[in-house]
Amino acid sequence: MSDTLIKVTGLKKTFPVKASAFSSKSLTLRAVDGVDLELKRGETLGVVGESGCGKTTVGRCLLRLYEPDAGRVWLEPEASLVSQVSQIDESVAAMAEELGTLSGQPTKTTADKARVRTLKQQIARNKAHANELASTSDLLSMSRARLKANRRRIQMVFQDPWASLNPHMVVKDIVGEGPLEYGTHSGRELDRWVHELLEKVGLPPQAANRYPHEFSGGQRQRIGIARALALTPSLIVCDEPVSALDVSIQAQILNLLISLQDDFDLTFIFIAHDLSVVQYISDRVAVMYLGKVVETADSATLYANPRHPYTRSLLAAVPVADPDHPNELRPPEGDVPSPVNPPSGCTFHPRCRHRIDICDKVIPVLGKDQNGHVISCHNPPNG
Amino acid sequence: MDKLLDVKGLKTHFHMHGYTVRAVDGVDFSLGVGETLGIVGESGCGKSQTSMSVMRLIPDPPGKIEAGEILLRGRDLLKISETEMRKIRGNNISMIFQEPMTSLNPVYSIGYQISEVLMLHRDMTKEDALKESVRLLKLVGMSDPEERVSEYPFQLSGGLRQRVMIAIAMACEPDIMIADEPTTALDVTIQAQILRLMADLKARTGTSIMFITHDLAVIASFADRVMVMYAGVVVEQAPVRDIFKKPLHPYTQGLLGSIPVLGEVKKRADGSRQLLNAIPGSLPDHRNFPKGCRFAPRCTKVMARCWEAEPALVPIEEGHQVRCFLHSDAVQETPAYAEVKRGQQRKWQRADRRAQNAGAGADTTGGRS
Ligand SMILES: Nc1ncnc2c1ncn2[C@@H]1O[C@H](COP(=O)(O)OP(=O)(O)OP(=O)(O)O)[C@@H](O)[C@H]1O
Ligand SMILES: Nc1ncnc2c1ncn2[C@@H]1O[C@H](COP(=O)(O)OP(=O)(O)OP(=O)(O)O)[C@@H](O)[C@H]1O
Ligand code: SF4
Ligand code: SF4
Ligand SMILES: [Mg+2]
Ligand SMILES: [Mg+2]
Repeated sequence: MSDTLIKVTGLKKTFPVKASAFSSKSLTLRAVDGVDLELKRGETLGVVGESGCGKTTVGRCLLRLYEPDAGRVWLEPEASLVSQVSQIDESVAAMAEELGTLSGQPTKTTADKARVRTLKQQIARNKAHANELASTSDLLSMSRARLKANRRRIQMVFQDPWASLNPHMVVKDIVGEGPLEYGTHSGRELDRWVHELLEKVGLPPQAANRYPHEFSGGQRQRIGIARALALTPSLIVCDEPVSALDVSIQAQILNLLISLQDDFDLTFIFIAHDLSVVQYISDRVAVMYLGKVVETADSATLYANPRHPYTRSLLAAVPVADPDHPNELRPPEGDVPSPVNPPSGCTFHPRCRHRIDICDKVIPVLGKDQNGHVISCHNPPNG
Repeated sequence: MDKLLDVKGLKTHFHMHGYTVRAVDGVDFSLGVGETLGIVGESGCGKSQTSMSVMRLIPDPPGKIEAGEILLRGRDLLKISETEMRKIRGNNISMIFQEPMTSLNPVYSIGYQISEVLMLHRDMTKEDALKESVRLLKLVGMSDPEERVSEYPFQLSGGLRQRVMIAIAMACEPDIMIADEPTTALDVTIQAQILRLMADLKARTGTSIMFITHDLAVIASFADRVMVMYAGVVVEQAPVRDIFKKPLHPYTQGLLGSIPVLGEVKKRADGSRQLLNAIPGSLPDHRNFPKGCRFAPRCTKVMARCWEAEPALVPIEEGHQVRCFLHSDAVQETPAYAEVKRGQQRKWQRADRRAQNAGAGADTTGGRS
């Protein structure tokens, strides 16, 4: 078995939005615009970034709660297969680009027309071939039956412990719903499993027969965690699981997640906007800006030595809980631009202090720098 | 520091059907000229109702300020008429809230809303008020203020709306600005912009600030002094450095143990993550506060007497007050506990000493006798 549990490549998700409240014209909002992520088994990957940068959308795409427009979500892939498929995907992308240029021309020669036809055929054939190959481990191209079997291996814990639990179901039915649907447990055995899960998340057995409204925010989050564990998943996407909770309850839930990770051999994607929390819980952190990952690094070095100008500004905006710390906040200026109409080139350029000439013209690509940080920037500041 | 605001024995209760919520249950604090007081504590501990009491904005019924004094430069705000209080609210104390959208009126332009305050409280003409609104918007860092004055709240982002709220709050150059979680709903980047703005304005105008938040990092970077609340009372109050470097109350210590600090890597020797020192349990229900110390059910250092009487808030050092039997034997004199006798205190001390001698060890070092 490979070391990689999940590998996300080229993930894209757009939403149609109305140009204005009174118009019927539709615009495209690029919520996730080409995201690559990789998680090793047992690892915790933190995902941070300002509101609207696409964190939740990435999580929901992994569970196929949203249907992505493009990309692959590999579950326990063979490295050779991934590289084979990626090659085909790249050639398809190159052909698609050529096709785009050709079709954009106002006048076409006969040769052009023939070329367009072959390109279209080749793209369709190669796409089908790549999907066929990928379908053994890519969640986005696999068959329905295979997807159903694999889907239970990824679960999600949601931010809002008030809205994410069905108010008309008692806890035991909420937690037991998944196992019942998948037929992993039933009857007496299911009751026993639910009790075990409740105990694991620190709830009393009596909780089983109560309704969500009878619990506090922290307890509801425990119920949400028990539900996520019920199908013994490999990966749990935790979407701001502690943001709505008080500090003392937040610490209880973080401790719970850490101990469950060992008990259940879990891999986490931990989405949050609180950088202190993310740094604490994660092994690695991915920083997102306007639908793209701009930097990933080891969580210890991310704070000590951030490389991307956006990561630097983000960290410089966070006050540290120590009155002896200088705490001279230097946030990036202005607001995040709209994902409907993102800036050209590097989308961070209007707010960047290190901008150079090409920044508004050429889109930087993610690459490893000499210190092992993966960043996308034309002019990363030194030191 | 001169006391600008002095609050003594403030009690604000909500009388519901069949029970009473003791939201603010005997709160004492003061605010100096030019000082920033940070107020922290868990949801429901009474932070907002304390500040709403100072503004006399408690909805009555069901709420009622039951007791206490709120002295602004020596004048008791609880004894003046509503008309006079309205003047204080405009001219002397102003407030900004967590969700600016609910406090801005959606049907009026922001210029109109700022002008209205200026015309009412600073007797300006319409033209002057509009000019002053533009100046204020510029002051709070709004770009193109001349055009922005005619925009409506829904056209602005959360951060810009909060800037407008601050512009309105600053319009009358108040002595005191109460900020109730002004940055909680915002991104860290926008939060930092707002905090910088508030620090700037404060440096320029010398306004005193009451800053309510549950974010200890914000407190560390922004407050001069900190008041920690728990279940309707103040449990500790001290200069910001003391709160973080030598917290005395077990609840304050618990809060500080609960938060990861940015830049500190918490790994055990074997590379696994170190757990946070979370406080067990949750805030008690307002309907049945424990009889003794309100923190007793969650306190890791609880002693026999903690269950029977409530400790009083006592100064331990210059400017550092704490409400805990580990640091003082003083009992909160409330009617219910008036019958507490000296003899009983001695009995508890004996019980605690026995417990200590029984060798529980490290953590029972309190109970100065
Ligand atoms: N169902 C949807 N329909 C239309 N737009 C959407 C939808 N879901 C998300 N978006 C948009 O996609 C972008 C990314 O949203 P997303 O919720 O992923 O951000 P996020 O990083 O999770 O933000 P937050 O920190 O606020 O939770 C935003 O601009 C959002 O408005
Ligand atoms: N109108 C009301 N009627 C009844 N009870 C109320 C009312 N307003 C507040 N309370 C209660 O008073 C207590 C203190 O509330 P307060 O709003 O001061 O808490 P807080 O410390 O500001 O919390 P948060 O961090 O959630 O804002 C709470 O238990 C709350 O339920
Ligand atoms: S690519 Fe240019 S604009 Fe973008 S972050 Fe790097 S330096 Fe700044
Ligand atoms: S008085 Fe007792 S229970 Fe209360 S905080 Fe102090 S030691 Fe803990
Ligand atoms: Mg989100
Ligand atoms: Mg409040």
